[in-house]
Amino acid sequence: MIEVNSLVKRFDGFTALDGATLSVPAGSVYGLVGPNGAGKSTLIRHLTGIFRQDAGTVRLNGEDVWENAALKARIAAIPDDWYYFTQSSIRDMMRFYRGFYPKFSRERYERLKEVFHLDEKRPIRRLSKGMQKQAAFWLALSCMPDYLILDEPVDGLDPVMRRQVWSLVLADVAQRGTTVLVSSHNLRELEDVCDHVGIMDHGRVLLERSLAQLQDNMVKLQVVFPDGMAEVPAELPVLHASRIGRIHTLIMRMGAQEAEDLLARYNPLLVDAVPLTLEEIFIYELGGADYAVKDIVL
Amino acid sequence: MQSKTLSFNATLFRKNLTRFWPLWALASLIGALFPLAVLLDMIQRGNLGAVSAPEFTQMYYSAVSAVPVVNLVYAALCALAVWSYLYSARSVGLMHTLPIRREELFFTNFLSGLTMTLIPYAVTGVLCVIVSLFGGAFDAKGLAVTVLAVLGESFFYFSSATFAAFITGNAFAMPALYALLHFLAVLLDWLISSFAQGFIFGFSTSYTGVAEWLSPTVYLTHNVYASGQFEEVQRTFADGSTYTDYLLTRVDLESFWLVGAYAVAGVVLAALALVLYRSRRSETAGDVVAVGWLRPVFRYGVAGLCALLGGQFLYSLFWYGFQQGSYYDTLPMVVCLLAAGAIGYYGASMLLAKSLKVFRGSWKGLGLVLAGCVLVCCMLHFDLLNVAGRVPEASQIRSVDIRTADNSYTLTPGQDPALLEQARALHQAVIAGEAHVRALDDSRDFTLSEEADPNTTHTGLRIIYSLNNGTQVERWYYLPITRERLSQPDTYDHLLDQFVNSEAMKSRRLHLDDDFWAVTGGSLFVDARMESYDLGSREGSAILEAVGRDLRAGNWGTYDWFAVDSGSDYALDLGLSFEGPDGEGRDYISIVVNPDMTETVACLKRLGLVTDADLVTRRELYPEDYEDVVYDTSGREAVTVFGAAGSAAVSPA
Repeated sequence: MIEVNSLVKRFDGFTALDGATLSVPAGSVYGLVGPNGAGKSTLIRHLTGIFRQDAGTVRLNGEDVWENAALKARIAAIPDDWYYFTQSSIRDMMRFYRGFYPKFSRERYERLKEVFHLDEKRPIRRLSKGMQKQAAFWLALSCMPDYLILDEPVDGLDPVMRRQVWSLVLADVAQRGTTVLVSSHNLRELEDVCDHVGIMDHGRVLLERSLAQLQDNMVKLQVVFPDGMAEVPAELPVLHASRIGRIHTLIMRMGAQEAEDLLARYNPLLVDAVPLTLEEIFIYELGGADYAVKDIVL
Repeated sequence: MQSKTLSFNATLFRKNLTRFWPLWALASLIGALFPLAVLLDMIQRGNLGAVSAPEFTQMYYSAVSAVPVVNLVYAALCALAVWSYLYSARSVGLMHTLPIRREELFFTNFLSGLTMTLIPYAVTGVLCVIVSLFGGAFDAKGLAVTVLAVLGESFFYFSSATFAAFITGNAFAMPALYALLHFLAVLLDWLISSFAQGFIFGFSTSYTGVAEWLSPTVYLTHNVYASGQFEEVQRTFADGSTYTDYLLTRVDLESFWLVGAYAVAGVVLAALALVLYRSRRSETAGDVVAVGWLRPVFRYGVAGLCALLGGQFLYSLFWYGFQQGSYYDTLPMVVCLLAAGAIGYYGASMLLAKSLKVFRGSWKGLGLVLAGCVLVCCMLHFDLLNVAGRVPEASQIRSVDIRTADNSYTLTPGQDPALLEQARALHQAVIAGEAHVRALDDSRDFTLSEEADPNTTHTGLRIIYSLNNGTQVERWYYLPITRERLSQPDTYDHLLDQFVNSEAMKSRRLHLDDDFWAVTGGSLFVDARMESYDLGSREGSAILEAVGRDLRAGNWGTYDWFAVDSGSDYALDLGLSFEGPDGEGRDYISIVVNPDMTETVACLKRLGLVTDADLVTRRELYPEDYEDVVYDTSGREAVTVFGAAGSAAVSPA
């Protein structure tokens, strides 16, 4: 289990993390989403032991991460900009990782060779960005981690390789109980793999729930009001409303049944609940935090 | 596979050595050239087996004295290599994500860097031993001392480079900071001393050396060197004639203990580097100064250095031509200091902020720098520390060196208490005459020679007090001397004349009645024949006694402050060399022979060194060097007369 409590980090007077708190259940895949500059990467660097917090706690399985070599041996991380030694090949980096991670599995490394069709003797700097990302996954998964921390992990991978990588990660979660925290802007993809989601903004985690809870907490309805009602009644607590012809699409922060009961007062001709995507949840949750898409005409 | 050792990671160690192999391999190759050159030299000369063990040891020790200079660069490169990961957010991210504590990371990187530093020395050392054995000579003690010295110096340099590496987070700043740390003490010494010289009357020290030990490369180079002991042996040429040869019998590495002292300092610096690492923030990668509390030190330190260095540069560029006298004009210097200080302050701020936008809200810091510049100038201008007025008490003095009137004298309280008091009184009189000296200095017309005013001349006076506490007080004055003041008892002119022309000082000039110095020989060059002679100790003693007789007869030793030139002296270069007991100290005095020195001339003739034909004056021998220039009332050169003795009354053309 990953637990971050009231985490504060400042850089030269700028507060990057302002009391961030999150909790990742063991064996879950946790998607960390948020706008640019929300503090996701900074939080991840605390989880991997790169940064030391100014205040708060960062614990994995009840232990502080900072300078905890035994704990860090159970964490594998793939940062957005993975570093490798300039002259090194994948094989060189494998030897390097093997010297640090006690559970590094040479057997798994050999098996993954069949998945990632990469020349392990070729210098990594000569590989494309997507191939370098594959190499990072190859090595990270060979470390047999109990915690996998991923920052924009599939950025640069082709669609087939994305699926391949996620299937490997999810297999690890299923078979070994690996806890995964993944930060990404690709909400469509996170929706497919995450079971928990946390939304960050301005250095804080605004909310975190299981995906199911998140979807239960917000509803998207398509409504056709009776003749004479052209506009959505002002008293309805609508987060967002749009209209095509007579069909109004309303997004409201409540359960589907509660929303339908509320709309029943206006004798609608049609009320139909439609599933919300994670992207919509993200947009409308942050809309409340003054992060809505602005209708700006240039 | 992780090492079982608690604080060492073999994988990282191997990785560092394999990653940076070109660095240590190239250095090893360069190092291997040294023994190879020795070997080739031996083969070329055909003297294999003829080089003795002490000669090899001397070669080793000579190499040791070069190690500080080599390590200054090479150890820094090794440190830069192993700590380079600290200077990029990506690489620091990888290294600090690894399951390894910082202590272990530090220890492993430190060991690998030190190994890289030592590999070229090991290669060179092994080859040197092979060459020594090939040459048939081997000195185990010399080799052991060399190995220890190289180890100690390399450790110190690598530790200091490591310390510098942890102060910064920027790969370009690291070598600059490292060099600054190594030379800051001598740089500040020189800067402050040379700056103070321009303000304080008589302050002449351009470099005191009091903090030289803080600049290890300079200190080690000056103090750790090979010194040999030689034995005189008589050898015979093929034709049966003999000659004296000197055989090297023993070589010591002087001040070897200093290497140990610096190695201990290296341990302290390494420990400090570890402390800095433990508290280092990974996010400082890229910062010029990575340690928070050092940032203001850097900002104001750079501003101060720039003010001192740049201020003097700007002054010499823009104002030196307008300067009156030998001392700085205070107001223009303050302006230059302020300008350079402000440039330094904003330059440092920009480096720290990694931005050019540092002006907003910076007035307080800038004000502090400017106030500091004004304060320093005021302190020096008004001599608030009373540096100019300092004359050490007699009880504080171990010895005084006085250099004036083409001679130097060393006085000690034990042997010369009266002369020493006379010297102190002279110094006090010079200080009291500061206003007079400055006034004449300011009004001096450098376009005219002193012949324009036959009643005024100038002389240099250097006084160096060596104090009992090991420090030195050095003053230098360029004193105007007038005929009028020479006759006024309390003036420095009078006291200086009394001092230099006293019988006691004349005797001292010749080391007469001096048990310490013994004549060992000398030299004589006869200009008329262009021939020179090396004098033995007997000839030297005889000449010294003859000069002594001339001294007592009043024919030698009276210094003429207003002497125009040396044209009336004989064209002879006579010098006597002296040595203290057991070779402790050497001295050499030049004796100008003039026609009044009948005893000396007779002695030289008696020894067969000169004949009557050689006794010509310089004016007679070199008339073109003694042109008499007569100036008209406006100071323009009017007439030039060659070879005329004394001043000539010639009407302007």
